[in-house]
Amino acid sequence: MKEVILDCFGEACPIPLVKAQNAIEELEIGDVLIVQIDHSCAMKNVPEWATKAGHNVEIEEVDDSEWEVIIEKAK
Amino acid sequence: MTREKQVEHYDVIVIGGGPAGLTAAIYAGRARLNTLLIEKALIGGLATYTNSIENYSGFPNGPKGEYITNEMKKQAEEMGVKFKLTAVKSVDFEGDEKIVETFRNKFIAKSVIIATGGRPRTTGAQNEDKFLFDKGISFCATCDAAANTGKHVLVIGSGDAAIEEGMFLTKFADKVSVSVIHDEGKMDCNEIAREAAMANPKMAFIWNTVVDSFEGEDMLERINLKNLKTKEIIPVETDSCFEFIGYLPNTEIFQEKVKMSGSQYIITNERMETNYPGVFACGDVREKWLKQVATAVGDGAIAGFAAEKYIAETEQFEEILMQNEKPGLIFVYNAIDPDSRKFLSVIDSYEKSKQGAIAVNRVDVYKSTGLADRLGVKNYPAVVITHEGRISSILYEGICEEGFCTATFDELFKKACKDCNK
Ligand SMILES: Cc1cc2nc3c(=O)[nH]c(=O)nc-3n(C[C@H](O)[C@H](O)[C@H](O)COP(=O)(O)OP(=O)(O)OC[C@H]3O[C@@H](n4cnc5c(N)ncnc54)[C@H](O)[C@@H]3O)c2cc1C
Repeated sequence: MKEVILDCFGEACPIPLVKAQNAIEELEIGDVLIVQIDHSCAMKNVPEWATKAGHNVEIEEVDDSEWEVIIEKAK
Repeated sequence: MTREKQVEHYDVIVIGGGPAGLTAAIYAGRARLNTLLIEKALIGGLATYTNSIENYSGFPNGPKGEYITNEMKKQAEEMGVKFKLTAVKSVDFEGDEKIVETFRNKFIAKSVIIATGGRPRTTGAQNEDKFLFDKGISFCATCDAAANTGKHVLVIGSGDAAIEEGMFLTKFADKVSVSVIHDEGKMDCNEIAREAAMANPKMAFIWNTVVDSFEGEDMLERINLKNLKTKEIIPVETDSCFEFIGYLPNTEIFQEKVKMSGSQYIITNERMETNYPGVFACGDVREKWLKQVATAVGDGAIAGFAAEKYIAETEQFEEILMQNEKPGLIFVYNAIDPDSRKFLSVIDSYEKSKQGAIAVNRVDVYKSTGLADRLGVKNYPAVVITHEGRISSILYEGICEEGFCTATFDELFKKACKDCNK
């Protein structure tokens, strides 16, 4: 099981979502994608898209207004 | 992949981190309850979808919704509230221990506060699913306005959110068309917003229309509106559409458990109590009249306070009333009822005569009938006899002429003990 970190710091909507959608395509079921974001708008669509797509999602607020969206590919 | 879920215990779990959940958590945290708030996305909820909140008192100059909710979050953190950012997947409220599960954890709490709010409703028109998630359809002008600088955008809806967010979009876009379901001049928003929108040269209205279909290759390219009167199809060339046509409650995980209205909002009383003791609901997720930040905050305060009272009452019930060291006598009365009060002296003298051999407790139902309800007492005054931490009998008025009499109590204690020896 591999873990991939996607650095989207400094990037506004919709770039983190687009990057995350592309990155998950490259992964196998059970792999984990960690999307690093610091624009709150991405916190509205990245977790929602990942949940709707059927993946398991957990988020860490690593610092004030800095998050890591941890997506475990389930499908 | 079956991984053991990690179990954690809390006094209160709040599900949802919008204004209602944050306020409930502030109250619970301030009551020194070990409180966890679980949020699946951004703390702040739907309030973070707007660039300006003009009507939340104490915050003049229309700050961004996110500014207000970030202040709430700070306050909750100061009260010792813990946060977990992940979706709640399932709940079990049947037992005294309430269970809340996420993908990695099983949380057990004495009380749960549901504050899952709503999500934007979609039109249900053809091909809509294809263009969600940054493929052209948005529900948040604040999030996506800048990307529309110099463009033509279409707004669907005519309520406060549609018109106010549409006006905000005119600061970026060259033209904002608005699809309105009503006849010319009629909108669902407030009058101030309506007048301002009609006077805004960048705004154009397409009356009597709904969305028929969304069209495009990979990204949205065109929206076909349909005139409800003439049935004419009106194509609108744009790659950006904002839908503000109301909200749906986030209640799927509570279905067939928590009591809901026909449109799936949770039904509570004014104390935010649901059909499960110890489970409260607050904010937009409730069946109620006005869904705003101010009312969500008010609901949250009540729910947080109610959870504190519920937990205190549970402890009082289990540790004091249902003690199992001695035979127990519980006098349930209403302090404002003179008939009820006059038995207090009978109880006092009985307690004295037993010299500590019996645990006597008095429960006043005036402020809350919570403890009486747990004892199963419906009329007052009443006497409950317990033995080894269990109720053995309940006496109501009229047991003997002068009210409760000591001989009757003695008799009941004897009987209780015989029962327990069987
Ligand atoms: C564009 C727009 C403009 C608005 N303008 C105003 C205004 O000017 N003035 C005003 O007073 N109000 C305004 N509102 C309304 C206001 O935002 C809401 O009334 C308020 O946010 C409701 O708060 P809430 O806490 O009840 O629910 P919400 O804000 O909806 O929060 C609920 C939270 O629960 C989370 N959640 C849901 N399900 C789960 C789950 N299973 N697990 C974990 N978390 C979950 C959601 O992600 C969300 O963060 C506006 C709303 C919008 C969309």
